[in-house]
Amino acid sequence: MKRTIKLHVNGEEFEVLTEENKTLLEVLREDLGLTGTKRGCDLGACGACTVLIDGGPHLSCLTLAAAVQGKKIMTIEGLAQEGELHSIQKAFVEKGAIQCGFCTPGMILTAKAFLDEHSHPSEREVKKAISGNLCRCTGYVKIVEAIISVTKNS
Amino acid sequence: MREYEIIGKSLPRVDGIEKVTGQAKFTVDMAMLGMLHGKFLRSAYPHARILSINVEKAKRLSGVKAVITRDDVAGIRYAFVDTPRYPADETPLAVDKVRYIGDEVAAVAAIDLDTAEEAIRLIEVDYKPLTPVFDPEEAMKTGAPDVHEPFELGAKTEWEDWGVRRDKRALDWRDAKNLSGRTSVAFGDVEKGFAQSDYVREDRFETKATAHCALEPHAALASFEPSGKLNMYLSSMGIFYKRFILAKTLGLPISQVRILKTYVGGAFGGKIDLFPYEFCAAFLSRLTGKPVRFEMEREEVFTCTRQRHPTIVHIKTGVKRDGTILAQKIKFIADNGAYRGSGAIVVYLGHAFSIPVYSVPNYHYEGYSVYTNNPIRGPQRAHGSPQIRFAVDSQIEMIAEELGLDPLEIMLKNARKKDDILPNGDVLKSCGLSECLQKAAQTSGWKKWRGDRVKRTQERESASRYKRGLGMSSCSMFSGAPFYPFASSALVKLHDDGSVTLFTGATEMGQGSDTTMAQVAAQELGLQLEDVRVVSGDTELCPIDHGQFLSGGAFVTGNAVRLAAADAKSQLLKLAVEVLGVDEPDLETKKKRFYVRGNSDKSVSYAELIQLSVQRNNGDPIIGKGNMKAVQEAEFYPSLAKTKGHFTDAYGFAVQVAEVEVDTQTGLVKVLKTVTYHDCGFPLNLSIVEGQVHGNVSMGLGQALWEEILLEGGQIQNPTFLDYRAPLATETPKMISEMVETRDPGGPYGAKEVGEGSISGILAAVANAVYDAIGIRFTRLPITPEKVLEALWKK
Repeated sequence: MKRTIKLHVNGEEFEVLTEENKTLLEVLREDLGLTGTKRGCDLGACGACTVLIDGGPHLSCLTLAAAVQGKKIMTIEGLAQEGELHSIQKAFVEKGAIQCGFCTPGMILTAKAFLDEHSHPSEREVKKAISGNLCRCTGYVKIVEAIISVTKNS
Repeated sequence: MREYEIIGKSLPRVDGIEKVTGQAKFTVDMAMLGMLHGKFLRSAYPHARILSINVEKAKRLSGVKAVITRDDVAGIRYAFVDTPRYPADETPLAVDKVRYIGDEVAAVAAIDLDTAEEAIRLIEVDYKPLTPVFDPEEAMKTGAPDVHEPFELGAKTEWEDWGVRRDKRALDWRDAKNLSGRTSVAFGDVEKGFAQSDYVREDRFETKATAHCALEPHAALASFEPSGKLNMYLSSMGIFYKRFILAKTLGLPISQVRILKTYVGGAFGGKIDLFPYEFCAAFLSRLTGKPVRFEMEREEVFTCTRQRHPTIVHIKTGVKRDGTILAQKIKFIADNGAYRGSGAIVVYLGHAFSIPVYSVPNYHYEGYSVYTNNPIRGPQRAHGSPQIRFAVDSQIEMIAEELGLDPLEIMLKNARKKDDILPNGDVLKSCGLSECLQKAAQTSGWKKWRGDRVKRTQERESASRYKRGLGMSSCSMFSGAPFYPFASSALVKLHDDGSVTLFTGATEMGQGSDTTMAQVAAQELGLQLEDVRVVSGDTELCPIDHGQFLSGGAFVTGNAVRLAAADAKSQLLKLAVEVLGVDEPDLETKKKRFYVRGNSDKSVSYAELIQLSVQRNNGDPIIGKGNMKAVQEAEFYPSLAKTKGHFTDAYGFAVQVAEVEVDTQTGLVKVLKTVTYHDCGFPLNLSIVEGQVHGNVSMGLGQALWEEILLEGGQIQNPTFLDYRAPLATETPKMISEMVETRDPGGPYGAKEVGEGSISGILAAVANAVYDAIGIRFTRLPITPEKVLEALWKK
């Protein structure tokens, strides 16, 4: 049985006709065409589906779309402002922290939420913060370097 | 050594911005109007005969557009290895039997996933369970159940399609039950070698099945044009190989099959085999007249795609008192799983990837890949090399211990050198192995650590809770091999303004091929990286490419790209010479202009030359073409059975040291630091190459310490990221990754492979480091805390 829900995504209001049991991940990707948020496992174990809800990182594959009406949702598509990349996005590109790119959106959003709360984390703290985001390509080395570099520059 | 302006530099990836903004499209992101969703009914039995299948109820369910079973795909066979000796043993859907838990029995295409899943539940299958076999050594014994019955060699195999003749004698090669592959090679006289040795030891090593864990699940989206042309989005490597096999199985001309570009979210060897979901997406699309998409759930990726071969390696080595290896006898057994996958290849590679490392005068290798009712095993990063190097270098350390030698000395003494000729005729035109050994030892502080044997033994025996150790291992990897399409080609098209578009069939799957190939073209043509656009990964728009599963991206594709750019440049040069009235050596390029050396006023732009060419040469806009065959002299892949024949033009080498800290109370092995020296010839983009090494080291650590597909009765117990322990960020050690530049004469700017090389040295490096720390030798991976504690308590 479908119903209308109102979602606030990347600064815009969307009205979506969808089933009660659809996850936020499904609605973002299939109804709103925002495919930047990825499905890696659908179980909440890999972090590829990470989005920001009211500034905090959440696993959209474990979030019911209907349950987050009225909240401010940010996906990777909403991070760059007016064509200008966020400092974390720039750092990832500059430091070679991207390989296949599949974990990248979730990884960047997790990093953003973390850095919004911690201005001078240690390497250890950064690793702990992103330990819920799996990456198979990079071995995490350049990802951690990229995140640390943002704190050095700010 | 010569440095270049563009090539070699750590320039940012050309696909970086797309990927950090979520714009990059992967196969799983592709959708088409009216698209149907595909799902499989899979076997719950590891071994059973199919008595009957009833799909009537499923077909009648509203929203179901098609249901197919064995009757619909009768007679279609395919496999990654399909030769007269090893004919294709896979069918898109199970025909007479199911052979592993997850084997595809039926496929459904429906308007949405929920409907497809419900339809699957409505399919009725009558099975007669058969006795399964899960242990490869058991499966080889007389009396073991047959996983496959012999079948008539029917249609032409792939190998024959590519020109290899059918040799009837080759068909009778099985000397044990359930063999899916068999390799034998010997030279010298091993028994004599052992007799002459001062010390001989024999050991057994075991490795487990591991998962690729590419973050993007396996997926395919197929659609047909009204003309009958198939268009597919695939998350795949080796698109030209896929095109070939799809055309063959679907009965389409090759030109009627197109694979379009999408970014690939990781592959690591796990996406090269043709999969039932790829075939069925196309088949169902043709049947229904609608686009059909299959996306594997993560559990299906773990269970029903591919895994690394678990191995049992028996190794007997004889050495002189000074550590010189005189003889080596190896028995390499790979648990293939239910279908051949790459079994016949991995037992060849257990030899081919190890023989370039140490010089062994008397040698005997027997490889067995064995059918079992376990999930299917296929290529995974370095394919066979981690398993064999784990065995060889663990044993080297054991030998060193017995003889009171430093394992580094033994490795140096036996390490192959430049210009060595391997038994199959391959020449090591570049070899930085010894340099890597020395540098790895230096950087890791090896001699200081290992020098004082008395101190080491005391620390090992002490009562302290945390104990540290250092271990070392070396490995080698090929740079492209003769397998369809046997070559790479590239085109460089110049635009009016002197910038270019590079057409390369290479697939960007994270390894950075779009970027590095653009750098090669830019360097050759005297352009900046921004002046090069890349069109890649499309079988229609791009010329053939060697594929990303043979480690030939730098060597084979890189050369093709370099030659294409050089061709374009030579056409420009010819015109520049005319216009400026000087000879070629007097010209240099900068910012899309040719300048006369020493006279910066005399110059002409690429744009002007192109204009001239169009006007003067009957519209020629200047297009450069280049191609490179993988291994010029070899028509086909070397003999998998006998190992004869050229394999590759260049080998990469790596030496790795691991520093570990063992917590004797919890059994946890913490990796503090890894040191890798990789002879990649020349790093085309240093940052990208470092990234490859980091990823390799991470995967190697997983193989050594954390990763294992747990199987019980053919059922995977841990098919999720929660239970399968792929490395996390918190487990990343300090990684020192350095390149040794041997500048191979055959590689573009001297480059060789780097994508697979530095995983294989990590396994023994860790096992040896653990031994160094606590004096316990682990011959079975992974080295879990449970194993460590059990061994410590026993002591």
